Amino acid sequence: MKQQKTFSTTGSIGKSFLWLLPMTLLIVLFTTGGKFSFDDKVSLVAFLISFIFFNWLFFMILYKGRTDRYRAAGFIILALFFALTFIVNLIQSRGSMTFSNETLLACEIPFCHIVTTMVILPLIFTGSIIFPGQITGGFAPIAGMLVIVLGVMLALGRGFCSWGCFYGGWDDATSRILKKPVIKKVNPAFRWAAFAVLIIVVIMSAISLGPTYCDWLCPFKAVTEFEKVTSTIILMKTIVFVSLFASLVIILPVLTKKRIQCTTFCPMGALCSLSNKINVFDVRIDREKCSSCMKCTTVCPTLSLEKSDVEKGRPAMTCMKCGKCIDSCTKNAINYHIKGTPVGKNLTAARMLFIFPAFTLLVIFTAGTMQQGIILLVKLFTTGSLF
Amino acid sequence: MKTYYFFFSNFTFMTEGFLLGLSTGVVCVAYCGPVLLPYLMAESRGLKRSYTMVAVFLAGRLTAYLVTALLAGLIGQSIVQQSDTRITLMGIVYMMLSALLIIYGFNHFKEICLGKNFAETNYAGNKKFPYLMPYSGGFLTGINICPPFLLAITGAIDSGSVTGSILFFFFFFLGTSIFFIPMPFAGMFKRQHVLRIIGKFAALIAGFLYFYKGLVLLIS
Repeated sequence: MKQQKTFSTTGSIGKSFLWLLPMTLLIVLFTTGGKFSFDDKVSLVAFLISFIFFNWLFFMILYKGRTDRYRAAGFIILALFFALTFIVNLIQSRGSMTFSNETLLACEIPFCHIVTTMVILPLIFTGSIIFPGQITGGFAPIAGMLVIVLGVMLALGRGFCSWGCFYGGWDDATSRILKKPVIKKVNPAFRWAAFAVLIIVVIMSAISLGPTYCDWLCPFKAVTEFEKVTSTIILMKTIVFVSLFASLVIILPVLTKKRIQCTTFCPMGALCSLSNKINVFDVRIDREKCSSCMKCTTVCPTLSLEKSDVEKGRPAMTCMKCGKCIDSCTKNAINYHIKGTPVGKNLTAARMLFIFPAFTLLVIFTAGTMQQGIILLVKLFTTGSLF
Repeated sequence: MKTYYFFFSNFTFMTEGFLLGLSTGVVCVAYCGPVLLPYLMAESRGLKRSYTMVAVFLAGRLTAYLVTALLAGLIGQSIVQQSDTRITLMGIVYMMLSALLIIYGFNHFKEICLGKNFAETNYAGNKKFPYLMPYSGGFLTGINICPPFLLAITGAIDSGSVTGSILFFFFFFLGTSIFFIPMPFAGMFKRQHVLRIIGKFAALIAGFLYFYKGLVLLIS
């Protein structure tokens, strides 16, 4: 009980500020990159905005005792600003969002975390990386990204999909547009669809020695980079990318209020779900407190909570640890939990232990992108051009 | 040198067959495996015996595949290769079969597995010919008319030669067989319903990819 009080910050401004302090230090570190010199006033303004923004987010998480709403704000900004800065950088360096055969041969394609699922088997079998990127150096090198992704998977499991992925914010945002879903019931079987995608792309990539998902299926090609259209086949691929983006990332999440792309089509999501099995954090339902109102099953954006899961006292392995079910529970029956500890005990301590590394991850991924995005937007408003 | 030439000239058939087998193997195990499993487990004594039964069952499947491959190869060599509209024809066939695979993935169909009744059979001959049932079960499962099997036939015909067809089916067999290896470990089927769902989705995605292949053939 004493421990509960020590960790509980909800409704207490003083305690929330005290618990915010260590995070503030981390925010300073990741928003400045360790250097307190700014090229111009715009950079300083960008730093200040991002610094205040992250501190406010974390303070609200502590003070309100709610997670999802504030997490989502940072997470959506990460996705939108990532797309903006990535596209502008591409156009500045290459002249367009497309890449050519020359770019492929020069191995200048940035390595995205989703490719992780496709490179591991060929790496084991052939000893080579089947992706036209740089191993070290340059923007998003393969070695660096692999270490980050595997490290985050070990630390947070599928929490990566709600706290660190720079694509997930897209359907997280679109799934929040409507107050009520138009399609009210989505078959829970769809939560296993991503595993089928994972199986197919891993196998096809291992056999064709090429990143199948990136080549044929990735919806996010529409907001990053894609092959220059020089043939009917490439045109068809482009149509597939745009159609998948429109349907899985925009239309279906709006209509269902679920993160359809992340839940049903992301192979990385499936891989992260498997890592949930070895990760120390999970979400548990205290059956003694639960009134079986099933509100959590309605709000879960990843179909990870069904009636049978509530009865078992835990969400499916596909849980992204976004905190939406926890926030929605009026009985405080759902909470972050550390495996091996009793369910329903040390609730605030378990929440703090999860929130700190998860939010740090969000800051690490978002800080630089957000500042760069702000600088670009200021440029757009003052000069009328992003370039 | 001849071996190298043979290997590289048939590499496409081998990889395509293997790939198709791997991508549809989950469906094979998810739908036919659990039906056959009770028999295999009931008849067996220990893991070694279980593996023997699975091996005999797979031998039955291989026989069925090789017979089908021979027929498909002969058809491919004699009729399809000589047609001027071969590519268009194959494109249409691929699209139709992949559409079937997509429907197969979407629908809540009752599994049609020719080998299903053999799991329930318990006749006196079992003791005299212990391998007859798993072998014939494997054979019947092998010629089971399901979309992956039809796609494999199309791929084999498309190869245009008996050798290509046999290699295609042999590697298709290897691809699907990987999923049968853990069968003696019955614990794998604790989450059988999840495996079925994943198998259905895998069939759907494979269907879309083959639909795309057909479309590319038609366009090119």
